Amino acid sequence: MAIRAVSHDERSAFGLLAGLVAVLMAVTAFPILYSLWISLFAVNLRRPLRMPFVGLDNYIAVLSSPAFWESAGRTALFSAMAVAAVLVIATLVAVLLDQEFPGRRVLSACLLIPWAIPSVANGLMWKWIYDANYGALNGLLLQLGFINSAMIWLGDANRTLPLIANAFIWKEVPLAAILLLVTLKSIPSDLYAAAAVDGAPAFRRFVAITLPALRPGFLLVALYEAMMAIRHFDLFFLLTEGGPGGASDVVAWRIYVETFRNLSFGTGAAMSYILALATLLMSYALIRSMAEKL
Amino acid sequence: MRSSPTLSRRAALAAGAAALALPAVTRANATDPIGYATWSAAVDQVKAHVAGFEKKTGLSVAYSNSPFAQYRETMITKFTGGAPLDMLWVSDAWLPEFAQAGWLAPIDPYKQLTAYDAVTADFCVKSTIFEGKQYGLTYYTDYMGFLYNADILAKAGITTPPATWDEVISQAQTIKSKGLLDYPVVIGMAQESWMIEFMSAMVYSTGGRFVDDAGNAVMQDPKAGAAMALNWLVDAVQTHKVLSPGCVTTGELEVLKTASAGRAAFVLLPKYRLKVLNDPAQSQAAGHFKQALMPMGAGGSHSTVGWMRFYGATPRGLSGARAEGVVKLMEWFGGKADGDYVFQKTILKDLALSFGITELYKDAAVRADLGSYGDVDLMSKQQEVAHKKDTISPWFGEWNDTHGTAWQQAITGKLSAAAALKTSAEKWATLKKAG
Repeated sequence: MAIRAVSHDERSAFGLLAGLVAVLMAVTAFPILYSLWISLFAVNLRRPLRMPFVGLDNYIAVLSSPAFWESAGRTALFSAMAVAAVLVIATLVAVLLDQEFPGRRVLSACLLIPWAIPSVANGLMWKWIYDANYGALNGLLLQLGFINSAMIWLGDANRTLPLIANAFIWKEVPLAAILLLVTLKSIPSDLYAAAAVDGAPAFRRFVAITLPALRPGFLLVALYEAMMAIRHFDLFFLLTEGGPGGASDVVAWRIYVETFRNLSFGTGAAMSYILALATLLMSYALIRSMAEKL
Repeated sequence: MRSSPTLSRRAALAAGAAALALPAVTRANATDPIGYATWSAAVDQVKAHVAGFEKKTGLSVAYSNSPFAQYRETMITKFTGGAPLDMLWVSDAWLPEFAQAGWLAPIDPYKQLTAYDAVTADFCVKSTIFEGKQYGLTYYTDYMGFLYNADILAKAGITTPPATWDEVISQAQTIKSKGLLDYPVVIGMAQESWMIEFMSAMVYSTGGRFVDDAGNAVMQDPKAGAAMALNWLVDAVQTHKVLSPGCVTTGELEVLKTASAGRAAFVLLPKYRLKVLNDPAQSQAAGHFKQALMPMGAGGSHSTVGWMRFYGATPRGLSGARAEGVVKLMEWFGGKADGDYVFQKTILKDLALSFGITELYKDAAVRADLGSYGDVDLMSKQQEVAHKKDTISPWFGEWNDTHGTAWQQAITGKLSAAAALKTSAEKWATLKKAG
């Protein structure tokens, strides 16, 4: 077999890319592979000189822990609530912004504010809003006469996850709406015109034309938001620190506690890989199921 | 035979440690700056005091600080990475962990430092000792105080603050019944670093313990353990409804904000918060907050929990010729500087951070400063019956996570108090066994 000579241009290209590839390997590939490596050891920084190889024991310990599965269940519940709500609200917002009306541009700009707010600022803002003693939500409801005394928000274990999901949704809806709006803009207006000529009412046009045409956008948004929700950490850290009584102890929070509080980097890394693998499988399943309908 | 992965791993670690140690050793000359790390508090005061030290001694100090929330992790990363650290602030809660790992060096050989033990609060000295060795001098100390809003009590017709936890309930019910506050008692039970201090104050004042002198869990013991304190909290929330169920998401800062807004009659807060509460610029309830001795439980006392942060030194800092400079710096901050407790007075005046040096309670300037917002003699009296946390151990952080969750579950009614304490005790026993 003849070996093709590498041209001067190709050598130059390799040379120019080599630096970037080296940086990418150093900052991306190495940490990923190193974390996989330490997940096979009992690494605890409290005992820096005692790090025995334990093979898959960290993975087995995590997967056989009832507490981990409880966290996984909460993660699934949180993600399902958050993604479903983001999809519904973002769709309604996108449809609204697809209409021509005075102030549409201003509204579009305002819509982006939650998305532009840093995650930590968003978390702190909701902490103030939800506070049972001096929070804005209680203040508003009391002034409007909807409640007679201050409500317990995050402190009520039954409300904790939905309230954190609400804060997550508030921040995520803008991006999702923009993505869906782009999809909406790609729907040929002829279809709506033809449906109108046929006498189809607005709701019928929405169900028969808009929703099917939005499927690629739904897939993209659902996939992105599901990945964001599953690995979400900021709000759990800022609002409840996994409480009350473990009511918001999701997998991302458990990884933080295991790694940075308990300093068990081996177990923390194993948990991270399990979460990554679960996210990958979920994404694959989502793509397969929705792609078939496209 | 193939060598085991453990050995090869150890060999790799040893090689890595040697490689890391090499530059550290080469850097550790007596003339190199003293590496001094703190968390991001009293930064201006520390800088000014460092400048005074440098001027006085001609030694150079490389000062750095990082946020308290990530400080422990940052220091551990620096220790394991061989960063040039000589002296640092340490929380009493981390001492066993840091000392056991060999990251701190004892100061026992330096009598000019240990001489301060004689004039330092007993619990502060004890808090710097691990396995018989002393690891530092007090930076600041404080205790959990019982504070009350005298204005609200007066409006409710109450003339004397509660002396027992039962009286706290009855007075809170009176305040509630008069429509003054929905939840007169505000105690933080959020999962945060302050949670164990709130719990320990209540447990000690009800005559209980989490752990006995031998380090075994006794928290589950209905009489000598933590049951009385936890049951009081559960009853206050669920039966008497004088403490908000939202306490499980209320952290120390939220307690302060609530009290500052005039929405609390009784609070547990670090004593130094009294200054903020009585500062008109920062509190709507200024002038109304007073301190009382920690209420007693049946068979208990006015005991509370005290904590302290201290100046610790690394083995690098106390090795060879570097030791002289590091010891001088530690005394400059933790002891006297130019014949006076300069730094202690500065942080008290500027930041209301308390001191471990007991004789300072007799100092006229100190008394005037403390007296501007509280009862100095009562402050001193309460400090005398403050005890260090009995849960300080190398596994404290890991245990505290399970423990905090269990208490929250009891307070929210998902678990009985007895079951919560059993969970806590079992976790303690497991971790103690694992070492």
